[in-house]
Amino acid sequence: MPSWPTNPKYISGDTRRIDGPEKVSGRARYSSDIQADGWLYGMILRSKWPAAQITSINLEPALKIPGIKAAITVQDGERMVRFYGEELAAVAGTTKQACLDALLAIEVVAKPSPLFVVNETEGKAPDAPKVWENASNVDASSPREQGNVDTAFGECAAVIEGFYTTPVQLHNPMETHGSTASWTDNGLTSWASTQGISSVRDGLAGALKLDHSQVRDITEYMGGGFGSKFGPGVHGVLAARLSQAAKAPVRLMLTRFDEALAVGNRPSSFQKIKLGALADGTLHAFEFDNYGTAGIGAGAATGGGGSGVVLPAPYIYKAPNTRVTQASVAINAGPACAFRAPSHPPASFGMESAMDDLAAKLGMDPLELRLKNDSNEVRQREYKLGAERFGWAAKYKKPGSSPGIVKTGVGCAGAAWGAGGPSRRTQGEAQINPDGSIEFRLGVQDLGTGTRTVIAVVAAEMLGLKPDQITVKVGDTNYPPGPGSGGSTTCASISPTVYDICTKALDQLQTQSGITDARGDNWFAACKKLGVSPLVVNGNWIEGLSTKPAYGVQFAEVDVDTETGLVTVKKVVAVHDCGLIVDKLTTESQINGGVIMGLGYALYEERVMDDLSGVVLNPNFETYKLSGIADVPDIDVILVNMPERGVIGIGEPATVPTAAALGNAVANAIGVRVGSLPITPAKVLAALGKVPPVEKT
Amino acid sequence: MKAFQYATALTTDSARELVADNGMYIAGGNDLLGLLKDYLVTDPKILVNIKSLPGMSQIEPGDKMWTIGALVTVADLEHDAGIAKVFPGIHDAAMEIASQQIRNVATVGGNLAQHSRCWYFRHRDIQCLKKGGDMCYAREGENRYHCLFTGNTCISPVVSSLGTTFAALDATAIVLRDGKEKRMNMAEVYHLAWENPLAHNSLRPGDMIVRVEIPTARSRSVYMQVSDKHTFDWALVSCAAAAEVTDGMLSQPRVALGSISPVPHQVEAANNFLDGKSLDDATVSAAADMILKDAKPLEHNAYKAPMAHALICRTLLQLKGNA
Repeated sequence: MPSWPTNPKYISGDTRRIDGPEKVSGRARYSSDIQADGWLYGMILRSKWPAAQITSINLEPALKIPGIKAAITVQDGERMVRFYGEELAAVAGTTKQACLDALLAIEVVAKPSPLFVVNETEGKAPDAPKVWENASNVDASSPREQGNVDTAFGECAAVIEGFYTTPVQLHNPMETHGSTASWTDNGLTSWASTQGISSVRDGLAGALKLDHSQVRDITEYMGGGFGSKFGPGVHGVLAARLSQAAKAPVRLMLTRFDEALAVGNRPSSFQKIKLGALADGTLHAFEFDNYGTAGIGAGAATGGGGSGVVLPAPYIYKAPNTRVTQASVAINAGPACAFRAPSHPPASFGMESAMDDLAAKLGMDPLELRLKNDSNEVRQREYKLGAERFGWAAKYKKPGSSPGIVKTGVGCAGAAWGAGGPSRRTQGEAQINPDGSIEFRLGVQDLGTGTRTVIAVVAAEMLGLKPDQITVKVGDTNYPPGPGSGGSTTCASISPTVYDICTKALDQLQTQSGITDARGDNWFAACKKLGVSPLVVNGNWIEGLSTKPAYGVQFAEVDVDTETGLVTVKKVVAVHDCGLIVDKLTTESQINGGVIMGLGYALYEERVMDDLSGVVLNPNFETYKLSGIADVPDIDVILVNMPERGVIGIGEPATVPTAAALGNAVANAIGVRVGSLPITPAKVLAALGKVPPVEKT
Repeated sequence: MKAFQYATALTTDSARELVADNGMYIAGGNDLLGLLKDYLVTDPKILVNIKSLPGMSQIEPGDKMWTIGALVTVADLEHDAGIAKVFPGIHDAAMEIASQQIRNVATVGGNLAQHSRCWYFRHRDIQCLKKGGDMCYAREGENRYHCLFTGNTCISPVVSSLGTTFAALDATAIVLRDGKEKRMNMAEVYHLAWENPLAHNSLRPGDMIVRVEIPTARSRSVYMQVSDKHTFDWALVSCAAAAEVTDGMLSQPRVALGSISPVPHQVEAANNFLDGKSLDDATVSAAADMILKDAKPLEHNAYKAPMAHALICRTLLQLKGNA
């Protein structure tokens, strides 16, 4: 069996991003930077109605606008639209303004329907307007039962009932969704901002009836993806069709407005939880009734997986008696798709809130209640490490006992991420040149998390070179195929693949050169003996160097101003494992990012829709609020390195427990639960009973 | 946005002439460009750049009164040591406005004249009352950021932090109207928005704010706001207070609140009540009750009342404290 080096020089060390200088100097070409020869702007016309029958779309007036080179409809003939922002048509032109003018000029004849619903609580009512003509809005699973819940609650020493809700969270990567597409007689080239270059190629080939060999995607650098950038998307296919029609490359990057409507999102949840424990704190009975919305459906435009409403319950805990009922409610809103750790942050928020409420009722320290009921050994270890670093024993006080107007509170929560394992189909190649230079080529992509650096670190370790001596090429479907970057799988896929390439490369180099150990000091001498022909070696993912899953726990400390309701996060301690840590710096960076994203979910982010008009009211960063630097606390990352487990991904678990830990810290500070995310000043004041009831006019 | 002409004016007279019946002035442009891009203003045929107008970019100290030119940037206000000393409330208000990049170009005149931030008004596909439509969507809709007070059907609040602070300092805006200087206090600057849903202030087309005069009669001033986030976020409620304080006793006190009314919210009865008072918890709370007495909360904005109450108490107590 292969194994990782036991005393590594670079693996588990602090290697700076090898592409850092490219990025900070602006030399790195992101998808939105691509300027193909003769390129045009592309833009999409969207439905102004949440529900309508489209009778006709007249593109002629758009084509008369100076500079417009192509205009197409998304689909011919009559059709229905089911949410505000659904794509209707697209134009390509020489300037942005020409495209904007063209969008205004297109004549859409539509019969808007007053029968729509954009609120999931209203959408599940029997008399609600139907989103799909031939289906109920409510897709309910039959209750899942184990033991005897009703009897078991009677046996409990403490029982709590709570209602915990989470909003629809929007995808807002720094680089919006989109691509440049160039369709010529030689085929189609796409430069997409994507998490899966292969899925873009295959999706475009399928949609446009081209051979896979005629389609190429190139994604050198892209500005972030959290589950919504798989496949070409509606926008990617439109870019390609516009390019075909205009006979020129078309860059179609979505605007921030577009991003709020149709690229996918995290479903909402409305979790009714009843939880009971025996006197010693052992969980005994659990009842869960949850509904939420994935808009008109899940994954419609994006091809992402795991985007449903159904949550794992009772999340990371076990109870002998459980009843779980869940329902997905269709509404006239953009569809859901995968979103960093699909279903886990809401599941964690509901269950971990209930755990703290139960601890309060039992008069127990919530950390003790977790240690009592969490059978996972890794988390047990992480809770102890984290509690010590955080100073839990000294900081934890009974809920609401913090004195003064600004109250301090602490909370914690745990994570599980069942994926994070490898894609076994991962392949790659290396070209070793007689001058000793070496280039790795893998058909994966870098979301900004450090894919190139991971490849360089593993290669440097295996070959006895330095990371900056390794050239890494990723983000091109002409390279040997790799997986999409979702499910936290990239690191566990490419690390063993690079290991395999290096092992084979050394074997061949040593055979050809006659040098018995070609590593390190002997490298250049061995390469020189190759003569004039570079050595090209292929490798693939191999067993034994990667596993799954990952765990993690987080602790949070907050200040809550009980007169204004403002929550200030003072400290987060994040304890995470991901097996063998390949590069500490980029791992910590992933965890910082996960915590900051979780903080936004906890305190600021929420898609707001208007019942009357059916529009998204906050399609911008002014009112769709994201954590800013002044909102971010000191984040203390503790990595638990477990080389014996092999490589595991970390992207997703890092964001799972943050909102739950923060919510618990707020409840601990003020002595009452704010059960609804985001925890805004308005909701804090309401929970404290300071908001007078409003008389209905 | 739609096409327009662009010209730079070198005198106020030529600016007025260029802007004619169908133009608009542009200085920092933060608000105007957003409105133009979303097709929210009546299409101006010409934008007249007023940034080169002479004498409008200075902060001029004085014994009885300071003058702040309309082209002074918010960043200038924030960094001016004299302002921080004489009008700490202005300094604090300036610091809370938007982001550093925006403060660098945003002007005092533009901050005062900025349009509604109501998310229905700002939405490109909603034709609300403020845009000449037939209903206010926010009244029965998503009104968490809206008014506790209004004199008409529109519930979009004034969001100018400087307007709120200037109101507390009893400042006067000097507006050039038809070649003459018209003096308007902050209540007058915004009054039309109180009664007319189509208005967001009392300025007429072609009016230009040229400077603001601030009396030094109140040596203490405070500004505070609460937002969802810690920086670069609009106030949910803002509050400014100013007064002279002698031996712990207030004279000429003024309190004004932003983001809860189409105008800076001021209650003269409360100002009178505070005059001559020495502040303690009970007094400031009684003043806050008076100021918020006729609030009419809607479904989602009732939290603003306790938040405003807390801010009034805090600003007043700090007024007493910051000698």
